[in-house]
Amino acid sequence: MPAPPGHSWRWLLANFLKREVSSRYTGSMGGILWALASPLVQLALYALVFGVLLRAPADALGGWRFPAFLAIALWPWLMFGDSVKRAMDCIPANTSLIRKVAFPHELLIVAAVGGTFFIHLLGWAAVLVALRLWGEPVSFAGLLLALPLLAAQFAFTLGVGAFLAALQVVLRDVEQAVGLALTVVFYATPIVYPLALIPAPYRDWLALNPLAYVVTRYRDLLSGAGGWQPGDIGVMVASLATLAAGLWVFRRLSPWFEDLL
Amino acid sequence: MSDVLVRLEGVGKDYPLLASGASRARMLVSLLAGRGAASHATALDGIDLEIRRGDAVGIVGENGAGKSTLIKIIAGVVKPSRGTAVTNGRVGALLELGSGFHPDYTGRENIYLSSALLGLSRRETEDKVEAIVSFADIGAHIDEPIKHYSSGMVVRLGFAVATALSPDLLITDEVLAVGDESFQKKCMRWLERYLGGGGTLLLVSHSMYHVQTLCRRALWIHQGRPRLAGTAFDVAREYLTYHEEKTRVARAAAPAAVSGTQPRLESIWLERASGEGAATFALGEDIVLRGIALEPDDRTPALLFGIVRADGTPVYGSLSIDAGYAATRLAERRYAFAVRFPAAPLLPGKYEIRAHVLEPEGLRLFDTIETAFVVTGETRDFGLVRLAHEWIPGREAP
Repeated sequence: MPAPPGHSWRWLLANFLKREVSSRYTGSMGGILWALASPLVQLALYALVFGVLLRAPADALGGWRFPAFLAIALWPWLMFGDSVKRAMDCIPANTSLIRKVAFPHELLIVAAVGGTFFIHLLGWAAVLVALRLWGEPVSFAGLLLALPLLAAQFAFTLGVGAFLAALQVVLRDVEQAVGLALTVVFYATPIVYPLALIPAPYRDWLALNPLAYVVTRYRDLLSGAGGWQPGDIGVMVASLATLAAGLWVFRRLSPWFEDLL
Repeated sequence: MSDVLVRLEGVGKDYPLLASGASRARMLVSLLAGRGAASHATALDGIDLEIRRGDAVGIVGENGAGKSTLIKIIAGVVKPSRGTAVTNGRVGALLELGSGFHPDYTGRENIYLSSALLGLSRRETEDKVEAIVSFADIGAHIDEPIKHYSSGMVVRLGFAVATALSPDLLITDEVLAVGDESFQKKCMRWLERYLGGGGTLLLVSHSMYHVQTLCRRALWIHQGRPRLAGTAFDVAREYLTYHEEKTRVARAAAPAAVSGTQPRLESIWLERASGEGAATFALGEDIVLRGIALEPDDRTPALLFGIVRADGTPVYGSLSIDAGYAATRLAERRYAFAVRFPAAPLLPGKYEIRAHVLEPEGLRLFDTIETAFVVTGETRDFGLVRLAHEWIPGREAP
């Protein structure tokens, strides 16, 4: 939708983004610390179950101790998983606006995904610094190399989020299905276990999961081992294609949101 | 920029029927294929409307007639199923209570949100925030979430935002009906100034008084289709007549009232001395009340008029047979009457004029119709009417 003459939608997006970040924690005493607390509790639980009780084999962890191995993948996973959930929530949550004012609805999705990435990026950065202080070999040069992959992950998440958010307005079943699917994808992504544990033929299938690819690459790059690989380009192209497809579906359906909500 | 702000041609809107999950799935396929919704109920059809810069257009119609759908199409929220809808410029919609407001945002955050939704820049908004806050006049509530507001407060804020952001086209949907008397007056004053300054208004209202005072043209939508388009006065009169008839039909259906055996009033309306219909008169202007009465026995009915101020204070009333007046027989059982108030001495304000029909002896009152009108003008006199008087030289008490 074109902005009125002489204006742009940039400020509206800024409004939505600010709101997305602030709304979750305003009114709570802990404020944005809760954004860190919830992943930290997950980290502690998974580290206990998979690192201590089930004992992930140390030699398959690429030189990381298990909590570090887990933490490096957990925050990027949350960027994806939470973003998808927020993207699906944001259309119903803004029904009152959608039913009365004309604006490009995809801004809501961009804000939901962008805000979630922002919050978890802060958490990730804090955790990486903590890991470094704890003596883990976190390479900040490697983090810079990982940024293009993170951008690709953002594009991929935005595409998936837009697709599911639009689909959900038409088909009420989507929300239920996605809740289940996210759990499956979590375990289909080598977050709580190293990919090496998966038998070879299945491992190749898992590698098709773009999230499996990027979290593995984050671990490689952050350990300071090597630079970009040809596969990175593939993931970026696939992410942009996902984004384009997701936005196409979203834009096809969004003029009808008012009818369907 | 073009002078035409809105042009609708043959616009129609169907809403999809989404009872079952399966129908939603079919809908998804057909939307993705770019074919639009499959099964549907028609909410609006065949609407033509053109709004030019400086116009003031009223939309009237019963509940569920499709007025809100029409407004959503103009505001760009809803995609019309048929026809073309072109809008130019910035459309500031004040649809229901505070549209463009998010219930979880505070009043102040909503000011920023609505202005961003209207496409304003941050700087433009910041210049206006204080003016908005003071127009809304809701005190410290401005920093609380809107969901804790009363409906009147939401409207105050919504109106304040809409006025400050100076949209090219202002759409109000029943907004004037909410809010207390003094705020309504403030809104009316603002709207009159806005229109005087060349602003463009689309007013949806059940109040024919508002439609007639604020709008020049009006469109009556009936069951999703245009029923009458014309001057605000004509449309308002027809619309009121339609409602009169509807209530009369309802009355006739009740066993107690025997239709066609008692005198009744068909319609009344007000005119200027020139014969032009009007609902707003200047102080000291001639006012003519005209009406049509039906008398089942074809005897000349007696008539009574009464003028009351909007607050119900009686001003004056008089009976036709006391003046020896006989209504003009137009046809069998159909009589026309008229009363002229030369240089009507009513002071500025809102009034209602009522006409009653009685049987020829003037003893029993059968039917009543009333219509509102406004007297405008500036005077420092107070009271109800200007009494004939003169100031003369004084002297000592005898």
